[in-house]
Amino acid sequence: MSLLVADGITKRFAGITALQDVSIALEKGERVGLIGPNGAGKTTLFNCLLGLLRPDVGSVDFDGQDITRLPVYRRARLGIGRTFQRVELFSGSSVRDHLLFAHRIRSGTGALWKDVLGLGLPKPAEIERCDDLLESLGLGGMGDEPIEALSLGQSRLVEVARALMTQPRVVLLDEPSSGLDRAETNALAETLARIQSEQGFGLLLVEHDVELVASFTKRTYVLNFGRLITSGATPEVMRDPEVRAAYLGDFVAGTP
Amino acid sequence: MTASVLAAGVLEDTIRAFFQGLPIGAGFALVAMSFVLTYKTSGVFNLAFGAQAFISAATYFELHVRRDWPIWSAVLVAVVLVAPVLGLLLERLIFRHVHASSAVAKLVISLGLLVALPELFKLIVDYNREQPFGAVGIIPNGTTVYRLFGRYPVTRDEIAAFVIVVAAAVALAALFRYTRLGLRIRAVVQSPRMTELNGVNADWVSSGSWMLSSFFAGLAGVLLVPTTSSLGTVLEPTGYFPIVISALAAAALGRLVSLPAALFGGLLLGVVTTQMRTHVPRNNVILAELQGPALPYVMLFAIIVFWPAIRRQVAGADPLLGVSPPPPALAATSRSQGMTIYTRIMALAFFTAVGIFAFGYANNFWISRITHSVIFSIIFLSIVVFTGLGGQIALCQVTFAAIGAFGAMQFAQRWDISVIVGMLAGAAIAAAVGAVLSIPVMRLGGIWLAIATLAFALFFHDVLVKYSWVGGSLFHGRGVPRPEFLGVDFSSRENFLILCVAILVLVGVLVILIRESSTGMALRALRGSETAAESIGVISWRSRVIVFSVSAGIAAIGGGLLAMEERLVGYEANFDPQTGLFWLVIVVVLGARTVEGGIQAGVAFVIFPELVLHRWLGLDGAWRYVLFGFAAISFARHPEGLLEHGKRRSQAMMQRMFARREPAMAPVGAGAGAPAGAGPTADAEAETGDEP
Repeated sequence: MSLLVADGITKRFAGITALQDVSIALEKGERVGLIGPNGAGKTTLFNCLLGLLRPDVGSVDFDGQDITRLPVYRRARLGIGRTFQRVELFSGSSVRDHLLFAHRIRSGTGALWKDVLGLGLPKPAEIERCDDLLESLGLGGMGDEPIEALSLGQSRLVEVARALMTQPRVVLLDEPSSGLDRAETNALAETLARIQSEQGFGLLLVEHDVELVASFTKRTYVLNFGRLITSGATPEVMRDPEVRAAYLGDFVAGTP
Repeated sequence: MTASVLAAGVLEDTIRAFFQGLPIGAGFALVAMSFVLTYKTSGVFNLAFGAQAFISAATYFELHVRRDWPIWSAVLVAVVLVAPVLGLLLERLIFRHVHASSAVAKLVISLGLLVALPELFKLIVDYNREQPFGAVGIIPNGTTVYRLFGRYPVTRDEIAAFVIVVAAAVALAALFRYTRLGLRIRAVVQSPRMTELNGVNADWVSSGSWMLSSFFAGLAGVLLVPTTSSLGTVLEPTGYFPIVISALAAAALGRLVSLPAALFGGLLLGVVTTQMRTHVPRNNVILAELQGPALPYVMLFAIIVFWPAIRRQVAGADPLLGVSPPPPALAATSRSQGMTIYTRIMALAFFTAVGIFAFGYANNFWISRITHSVIFSIIFLSIVVFTGLGGQIALCQVTFAAIGAFGAMQFAQRWDISVIVGMLAGAAIAAAVGAVLSIPVMRLGGIWLAIATLAFALFFHDVLVKYSWVGGSLFHGRGVPRPEFLGVDFSSRENFLILCVAILVLVGVLVILIRESSTGMALRALRGSETAAESIGVISWRSRVIVFSVSAGIAAIGGGLLAMEERLVGYEANFDPQTGLFWLVIVVVLGARTVEGGIQAGVAFVIFPELVLHRWLGLDGAWRYVLFGFAAISFARHPEGLLEHGKRRSQAMMQRMFARREPAMAPVGAGAGAPAGAGPTADAEAETGDEP
């Protein structure tokens, strides 16, 4: 059984059909891409998976459980992590605090009474755990930096690290390449690929950057005008004439 | 008596109440439209309208009643001249320079003005509060009664109020709909920064609307006096609170942005008010309250909680809001080791000196002042917890303090239980009330939370305190004994001071623990990005409700101690909602983010008016409201507080000095949060940006 399943999702906004009967599935430990031109419905689908939107028709299942009506934080606690297209970090906190806090939320060790008794201060074991993850993402030694001091690429990695501290079984990446240049994108993809194969979580990549999707994913779904136009192994999808017409045609012509 | 006669009587009562309600509603509508106007044009949720209405009304009565000016010239000066000029000054000198700040920062500024403006007016004009002015309208012979359709009585004042308001509303609607100015105003509201990027100067758009809204507020201030009982015969700024609250409820119906909704909402609420008075039976205590003072607060709270449009509005925010820089790191985190030791030695020396003075030389008066400072520091730590750490504004800490005080009193009086137990029980009750109160409104946050808590504070003040199970009875008085526990008698001034200091230390440590632990992290996360916090499983409103409840408990402990110190619950002197606004203002001005900021605010609140204003400068103590009220303007630029800001500046200066003398010494302590340059650059930015 698939880990994350969206089944027959339809979503309308004031007469406009943003998604029409779209179904996708993500297996355990799999890297899957979701592409489509602007306005294809990628973000709407993404938001339905995360719980920011509720589909009009259809259901979302996670690990065999119907989560269609669950709020965002419940899905996060079940093991769905995410990153943001426009980086969303906790200004005023250090890099390590992001990870530490995510860990506390996940392990449910953040009760007020512990704070009051002085048991809520960061423990050496927790700090070590956070620093280990930062190290493996190439952010070693940056734990004490204020989050504002980081570059965009590093900020995205902190988002990934924050999501990973919640021990997710699937991570949804929302256009991680936006705002990054080619070299930065490649570095990010490399790190992501390594950490994904180490930890074995499922990964859904919603992207504009077709090159990144082609190099990074095994399977790809293509959306256009709210419909799923094709899906399958990434190299075959990229060769599909309908896809090339709808999306890659523009890309080849040089207007990504 | 047949049924049909009875029905006819009910119908007639209903119609009469309808006609009586319209003029009252017209007043609400006028203030509601002022709210909408400034909110639309400059994003300022201007609670200071109460003060502006008061100034115009007081000017009018000063001129017309006390100095015998003719009506027309008094109106000309008070409404047509003073009000718009006041609006223009507020916009030019203050709100123009903060238009890109958050809604909460602007709200704090307007609170400061609400505190400062009436006091400044009273100090300048030598306004005589003892002399009753009488309810004189702006229409000659305003109390002349006409009979609509031969049977429903209305006064000339009421007709004038209604006609003026409807005419103003029509003119305003035309302005928004048909002029270029109207279009620009709407664009500016959406995102001031975005609009400026498109080449529209957001500043001049707001000047006009501030003059207009201030004119409306002044007009309402003068028009409402004869029609509204809460203003009474002695004009005081607090008399406008119920009107402002009703107007807020009307404006909230249109999410603060719809002028027609504000107009019809105001009229509707006016009619609802008079209908309730006519039809709801008075035999039940709760129903009787609902006809009178409780109604505006209940209406406002209900609208905020249940009106779906408000929930939808909270979701939409300024797309460029995230561009604002985050609050700078605390000075203490970027301090070198030498500086830290130096600061600690200085603090220790200071407290030792105060201690030697208090226990060796001070007379009873100064011991009592020092004890008051300590107690207010405890109360202000509740603001540090909720506003400083949580980044949200609540205006009912004063109510929680009162609950603590009354708790200590009730337990001692009724059951002869130790006041300490009573105070703790009061704290538990305050925490529970805080949780129940905040659960429905915490999701909304921001200005809605502030308004809802203000409504609660006023509700407590106007309704709940009068019940003997809350505010005590005349028969028993409000006496509170000093405690005696663990075999120690704390009834002497010195012993009680020691107890208060011990509790302050405990609460201070508690606040620091909360700040450095999971709860503090959660609050920082929610301040940074609520969406991201939810994406890792945070239930966003829950952390805030918990913290609000903790803060309520702290305020109640302080309130209980204050009652013990004064040996009675001085409700009117200490726990008035207006006083509560001043508490918030003084704490955010001096430094809401640190424990020492709260303590400094406590000391400033008690010692400053006594020592600096009264003894050294020979000024009226009311100048503190003016000084700190206007100082709230600094909140937009230095949300960390003036003292914290000053500390960072002087620290940066001293560290530069040290660094010059010993070039080998690292400017930043090992493991410190901010990079070395953070302090100085932030200051340079502030220096260049301070002057417009």
